[in-house]
Amino acid sequence: MHRRILGLVVACFLLGPLTLRAQDFKVFDRDVQVHGFASQGLVYTNTNNWLTMDSNQGSAGYTDFGVNMSTNLTDNLHVGAQLYDRNLGQLGKYHPSLDWAVADYRYRSWLGFRVGKVKTTLGLYTDSQDLDFLRVFALLPQSIYPTDIRDATIAHLGGDVYGSVSLKHRLGDLSYTVYAGHRSDSIHSGYPYLLSQFGTIFTSFGGLQYGADLRWNTPVKGLLVGASRLDQDTTGKGTGLLDPLNPALGTIPYSEFSKSDWTNQYYGEYTHGKLRIDSEYRRYYRDQVIFSGTSENPDDVRGWYVSGSYRIAKRFELGSYYSRYTITSIIEGALASEGFPSQTDTSLPANHVYDKVITGRVDLKNFWNVKVEGHFMNGYGSSTYPDGFYPQQNPQGFTPNTNALVVKTGVNF
Amino acid sequence: MKRLRTLLVAAGMTFASADSLASDFKVIANSSVKEDTISAEQIKRVYLEEDKALADGVHVVPVLEKDGPVHEAFVRRYLGVSQEDLQAYYRTLLFTGRGSMPKALASDEEVVAYVARTRGAIGYVSGAASTDGVKTLAIGDTSNATARRLMIRIEPDYPETLKRMNIGGTVRLRVLISAKGNVEEVRALGGNPILCESAARAVKKWVYAAASSRTVTEVSILFDGHGPDIR
Repeated sequence: MHRRILGLVVACFLLGPLTLRAQDFKVFDRDVQVHGFASQGLVYTNTNNWLTMDSNQGSAGYTDFGVNMSTNLTDNLHVGAQLYDRNLGQLGKYHPSLDWAVADYRYRSWLGFRVGKVKTTLGLYTDSQDLDFLRVFALLPQSIYPTDIRDATIAHLGGDVYGSVSLKHRLGDLSYTVYAGHRSDSIHSGYPYLLSQFGTIFTSFGGLQYGADLRWNTPVKGLLVGASRLDQDTTGKGTGLLDPLNPALGTIPYSEFSKSDWTNQYYGEYTHGKLRIDSEYRRYYRDQVIFSGTSENPDDVRGWYVSGSYRIAKRFELGSYYSRYTITSIIEGALASEGFPSQTDTSLPANHVYDKVITGRVDLKNFWNVKVEGHFMNGYGSSTYPDGFYPQQNPQGFTPNTNALVVKTGVNF
Repeated sequence: MKRLRTLLVAAGMTFASADSLASDFKVIANSSVKEDTISAEQIKRVYLEEDKALADGVHVVPVLEKDGPVHEAFVRRYLGVSQEDLQAYYRTLLFTGRGSMPKALASDEEVVAYVARTRGAIGYVSGAASTDGVKTLAIGDTSNATARRLMIRIEPDYPETLKRMNIGGTVRLRVLISAKGNVEEVRALGGNPILCESAARAVKKWVYAAASSRTVTEVSILFDGHGPDIR
C-alpha cells in the first residue's frame, strides 16, 4: 500500500520541473476545458483504527482522483461532467462514479437553473468537500463533513434554481439555491459498510433529497453568513440476517426507509487578508425504520466546529480547528426487545467525538501541495450511524482517545 | 415649467476613475461591448462569474493576466481577495460544475490581442500598455458616490403634448462628466424616449464641480404632470 504513495511522490518529483496544465481545446469553435486532481494520504493512529483503515498500522488506503470536462455551449449555457474515484480504507473501493454532470443555464445573475447530477449545496463545503487542494486542512471537520458518508449529501440527480442579488443601501449580496432530486449512495459507502457488521448487504440506497440554502455576503468586508436546510426520504434494499443476533438462522430480503430525515445547518466565514475563520453548526435528525420494518432508530446528530487558518508565506499555510460531534441513538421495536441498547448520554466516549486539529500545508508548486495534520480526538462515537470509528476495524473494542497523524499530498490542474 | 417637477437622484451611482488607479492599469473590452464605463461592482460580479452581461445586455467574458503586479493590484483592488483565494474560488466553480476557469494570459500584449478578437471579452492591462484594437472602459468606484457636486442645473422641458396627455414617468440617464465638470456624454438608460431626449438636452448643459478625473453618474428625472413646481 505504501507503493501507491511512493509512486505519487515520485511522479510529482518527475513532474516538478514541468507545470501541470489544464487541457483546453476547441470543438465547433467552443473552448473545452479539461481539469483534474488526485490526492494520496497516509494515516497513522496510535490506538483505534479510523475511517475504515487499518490506521493503527499506518495506512495509505486514502486515495482519490477526479477529472472533468466542461464548455459553454452558448453565452448562458454551461455544460460539463466530472468522474470521481476513491478508496478510503474499506470504502469507495476504486469504483468510479459520475460525480456531477450538469447543464447550467444562467438567465440573469438573479436566476439560473442547473439540471443533471448536481452537487448539493449544504453549508460552506459540502459541494467541494473532496477538493482538499482548496484549503489548508487534509480532512474537513468530521462533525460536519464526515468523509466516510460523503455520498449522503454530495449530489442529487435533479435540478437547482439559484441566483444572487445585490441588496440596496450597500447591504451586501444575497445568494440562494433551491434544489430537489434523487440521492444515490454507493454501496461502498459508510452506512452500508457499518450495517454490514449485522450481516446486512445493501444492493441500493438512496431517495428523495430537497432543500435550500441562503447566504449573505454582509456589508462587513469578508464576512459571509448563511443557513441551509435539507430534507430527505431514503430507502435501502438488500439482504439481511433473519435475526441479526443469531446469524445461523439465515438471510432474508432487507429493507429500510425514512420516517423523518432532515438537516439544518448554519454557518459563517470571515476572511481578512491571509486570515480565514470558519464556523458551522449542523443538526441532523434521522428516524429510520430498519430491519425490514421490525425496528425503528431515531438518531439525533449534532456537530459544530470553529476553524482558523493563516497563510504565513506564499507557499506555507497553518490551520487549526476544534470539532465537536455528539449523537443520541434510540432503538425501538424488535432490536430493542432483543437487548440492543439505546445510547443517549453524549458525555460518554461512545456517543461523541471531540477533535482538536492542527495542520501545516506547503505548496511545492502551484499544482502540488503537501499537508501534515495532527488530530487529537476524544471519543469514538460508535453507534448505529457512521462517525469514523467502525467496530469491524476495531474488534477488540475502542479506547476513549485517539491521536492521528495525516500526511497527504495532492495535485490538480 | 410650472407643472414640471423634476427629481434628481444623483447620489445613486457615481463612479470616479481615480488617476492613481488608471495609471496602474486599464480595463479594456472588445468592441462588441457597448458600454463605455464599468463600475467596480460590475467588475467584481463579472470576474466572479456572477454576471454574464453588462447593462447593455452584451455577454461578457472575463480575461485574467496570469500574475505580476498589474494582476495582483487588480485582484486586490476590485475583487477584494488574494490571488490564492481567487484561484481557490475559480477551482471551486470549476470542480463543482458551476463555472469555468477564465482565460489567463501571460502579458499585456496577449490580453489585448485576445480581447480584440474575442466577442464580449473584458480584460485589464497596465496603464502604459498599447490598447490598439480594443476600447478602454472608464472604471467606476461606488465608494466615491458623492464626489461630484452639481453646480449648475438646467431644468428639462416637459413637452406640452405629453403634459396635456398626462404622460410622464421617470427617465434614467448615464452621464459622463469631464474632469473640469462639463457633461461630455449622456446616454438614456430607461424611460419614455421623448422625455429622455428632453432630459438629455438639459443635462448636457449641467456643470459639476471639478475633479481629478472623468466620472460617470446615473441621474433619474421624474416628469410628473401633477407636480406644482420645479424642485
